[in-house]
This record gives sequence, C-alpha cells and structure tokens, in this order.
Amino acid sequence: MIFTVLLIAGIAGAGMYVMKLRSDNAILKANQSKLESAITEQNKVLEQQKEDFTAILESNKKLNVLINTFKKDLQDLDKRFTKKNRDIGKLAIDRTEAIERIINKGGKNASRCIELASGAEHTPEELKATLKSEINPECPSLANPNYVPYQ
Amino acid sequence: MYHINKIIALAVIILLTGCSIGEKKIKIFSIEKPREKLDYPMPTALELEELKWIIITSENAKEVFKKLEEAGIDPVLFGITDKDYQVLARNFAQIRQKLQETNNLLEEYKKYYEGPEENKQ
Repeated sequence: MIFTVLLIAGIAGAGMYVMKLRSDNAILKANQSKLESAITEQNKVLEQQKEDFTAILESNKKLNVLINTFKKDLQDLDKRFTKKNRDIGKLAIDRTEAIERIINKGGKNASRCIELASGAEHTPEELKATLKSEINPECPSLANPNYVPYQ
Repeated sequence: MYHINKIIALAVIILLTGCSIGEKKIKIFSIEKPREKLDYPMPTALELEELKWIIITSENAKEVFKKLEEAGIDPVLFGITDKDYQVLARNFAQIRQKLQETNNLLEEYKKYYEGPEENKQ
C-alpha cells in the first residue's frame, strides 16, 4: 500500500517537474526572442545615430565653408576700394563718368547678389561663367558656382 | 436531500463563474504616429528694382541739376560721401550674406528633419 502511494507520488512529482521544465523552457524561449528583437532595435538606433552624426558633420562643414566664403567676399570688397592706395573719391573727381558707370554696374551686380541670396534661380549665363570677365565680381561664389578664381 | 444539496452547490458555482466565461479581455496597444510635417514652401526670391547712382562733384554739379530739370526730375539729390559709399557697400554685402546664411540654415534644417526631396511623400 505504502509502496503504491510512494510510486504514485513519484510519478506525480516527475510529471510536475517535467511540466515546470516545459514552462521554464517556454519562458526562456520568449525571453530569447525578446532579447533578439531588442538587439535588432538597438542596432537600428545605432545606425540611425551614425547617419545623423554624419549628416550633422556634413552640414557643419558646409556652413563653415560658407562663412569662410563670406569673409573672403568682404575682404575682396574692401580690396576693390583700397587696392594700391586707391581713393575712390579722388577717382570720381578725375573720371566722374567712368566711375559713375562702374558704380552703377556694381550696384546692379550687388542687387543681383541679394536676389540670388534670397533664393532666385541662376541664369544660364551665370552658371556658364568661368572667366573673370564673365562673373559677377560682387559675389562670385554665390553667382557663379562654376568659376574657379586663379591664385 | 443529499442530491438536492449537490445540485444547489453546482448551480451556485455555475452562477458565480458564469460571468467570467466568454468575456473578452481588453487589449490596449499604442501606435506611434509621426508628427505632421510643416512643409512650408521656401520663401519667394526677391526681385529688386534698379536704381541709378549719380556722382556729383563741385565741377559737374550745375550740369547734373540742369540735366535733372530737363528730364522733369526734381533737382534734388540725396548724397553720401565716398567713405560712406564704401560703408553702404559693406553693409549691403553683410545683409546679403546674412540672407544667404539664413536661407542655407533653413534648407539644412529642412533636409535634416524632413529628409531629401525624393523621400517626401
């Protein structure tokens, strides 16, 4: 009688243990699957971060180039007024009409630069310009993207 | 009597558990919806009107005013010195650069947060 009870209890215990193992196995499988999907998600986030950093670096580089171009344009403008001790006032007295023509042309070019800076489309002539005589000297980097200044 | 008690007990159990059978569980789930894109068009480009500079010196002043009168323009000029002209040219160059910089920043922000043109839906 005792033997039978022990046998039944043993079988029941073994059955319960197997059930517990199966349940543990199911939990572990679910955990594994969750971990795998978490790793995939993390990898995606890392990839996105990498792309974002590259985009930010590129954008910063572009803006720095632009700021340097601005500095150079202002220096060039100053040079045009003061090159070789040039005095625009005296020149205007001596060669009034010629300087008036130059000033008007310069004003027209400067206005065009403002239009371009505000987002106007380039004309084919502006895009084609590669020679110094063809460019808009007020803002060559903006008006004539294909012009390479000689050093 | 014994059977009646059994039946009553069974009926009570069925009565009490009846409500929990067949009820659906409410599932709550969230869907991530991206924020609507602002998508403003870029500002319209400026179209500036042309203006004419007149250089006036002590020598040509009379001639300039005479020409203005002949052309039916009021003989009055708003003048600046050669030094101030340089300052004006510099100021305009700076305004233009600021405009260019702002437009550039706007484009970069748009590109970064909304992606390139081809990715737009």
